Amino acid sequence: MKPLFKILKEQIESIYLIQRLATFHIRIENRNNVLGFAWEILNPGIQMAMYWFVFGLGLRGNEPIDGVPFVFWMLAGISMWFFMNQGILDGTKSIHQKFNLVAKMNFPLSTLPSYIITSKLYGHLFLLSLLMIVFWLNGYLPSIYYIQLIYFIGISYLFTFAVTLLTSTLAVVVRDIQMVVQSTLRIMFFMSPILWQTERLPDVIQPFMMLNPFYYLANGYRASLLYNEWYITEQWEMTLYNLGLIFFLLLVGSAAHFKFRNRFSDFI
Amino acid sequence: MKEAVVVKNVSKKYRMYRSKKEQLKDLLLPGKAGKNFNAVDDVSLTAYEGDVIGLVGINGSGKSTLSNMIGGIVPPTTGEIIKQGNTHVIAINAGLNNELTGMENIEFKCLLMGFSKEKIRRLTPEIVAFSELGDFIYQPVKKYSSGMKSKLGFAISVSADPDILVIDEALSVGDQTFTNKSLDRMNEFKDKGKTIFFVSHNLGQVKKFCQKVAWLEGGKLKKYGPTQEIMKEYEEFIDQYKKLSKKEQEAFRQETAKRREG
Repeated sequence: MKPLFKILKEQIESIYLIQRLATFHIRIENRNNVLGFAWEILNPGIQMAMYWFVFGLGLRGNEPIDGVPFVFWMLAGISMWFFMNQGILDGTKSIHQKFNLVAKMNFPLSTLPSYIITSKLYGHLFLLSLLMIVFWLNGYLPSIYYIQLIYFIGISYLFTFAVTLLTSTLAVVVRDIQMVVQSTLRIMFFMSPILWQTERLPDVIQPFMMLNPFYYLANGYRASLLYNEWYITEQWEMTLYNLGLIFFLLLVGSAAHFKFRNRFSDFI
Repeated sequence: MKEAVVVKNVSKKYRMYRSKKEQLKDLLLPGKAGKNFNAVDDVSLTAYEGDVIGLVGINGSGKSTLSNMIGGIVPPTTGEIIKQGNTHVIAINAGLNNELTGMENIEFKCLLMGFSKEKIRRLTPEIVAFSELGDFIYQPVKKYSSGMKSKLGFAISVSADPDILVIDEALSVGDQTFTNKSLDRMNEFKDKGKTIFFVSHNLGQVKKFCQKVAWLEGGKLKKYGPTQEIMKEYEEFIDQYKKLSKKEQEAFRQETAKRREG
């Protein structure tokens, strides 16, 4: 418990630092491109178009899902995926990559993953607002259920942070963890209802699919933006499960972080 | 006199491997593969408040490892370092980003050094003036010459106001006028009564700047005392060492290296 409080304290005290470094990170990443920040939108945009073409048009014949056109159904879920995938991948590398940058200073090391994730969050929020405009233009107007979206964005962020707190530490000790994380994410992506409806699978398998946090998050985004349902309470079992999972990951992650923190320099 | 830094029986061991296979083997069965290397071996010394201590020794004698441990960057393997007050390591090239402009880098590096928003705003004009970069401050750092980059890094780094300062080969950047300016700044720190550890190969600077000298050889503290006394012996040693033939120098290095294994 104690390491967890220490991590949370460090995060809260460093909010200004995290947010400034996140903006610097976006600036540094995009300075060499002529189009700059536009790539944060163009890249996922192109991928979304391809997924829609293959999974929507190709495999489903563009059939709607519970009354919502496939393309909107997919967009709402996949926007969350782009954020978390990038956040977890880059966050995992963060300590290993940025350690030398801050090695000679008294830098709160647990903020390395969080500033990288925060920079991804900015891109996510921007993409999400573009998607909202698309939804509005097609008749899916803002409703009281948007309140839920704030919760789901927050949970996505927390989940990403909890995972990277652990993986960024492990990746310093054993570099291969980066590859393990990448493969695991890919499995979880295709095993979740982001691109296709897992309801088509036999009933026996259903509970196992729900263990995947992306199941809960993707459907949560959809419930808030498109279906106007109170997903948090209607699926309270999954809410409890996911909150518990995040708590567990934070607990393990912060313990691991402090166990190795002093010896990072030996491994890099 | 108050103790500022107490270094107690501090050692730093590194594990050395010949291959990835050895490293993996050592991870699974600790102690079965690889070799120990004592970068710093059982060093003890005490620095009092306001001491300016020079760390000297030939390449690979453990100066930088020791100064990094005092600076808190590298943890000792055994022993402990007790410090009164906060420490700052002057690191010129750490924390600069080539894509950002000089101005942006000032904020960037200050953030990394842990300065608050207000402090950064207050210090920025001073840093700009000290760096002598003029309008180049608005250019991306990748367009700088190496001297200009070092000047910027140095200007940002010395804006900190710590109790204990570690300077590792920092005063040889820029041209002669900038070196003098840097030395002036270091003397300011000295006059304010800060405890300073100064690592340098420039024996002239060490003699002029430091009151005490710690001489490291093969990771061990060979001599520690007043500058005049130690530097005289050290200079004699250096002269002798230089007179040795290449082969003898090599033999000397290998002998000290052997003592550090295990």
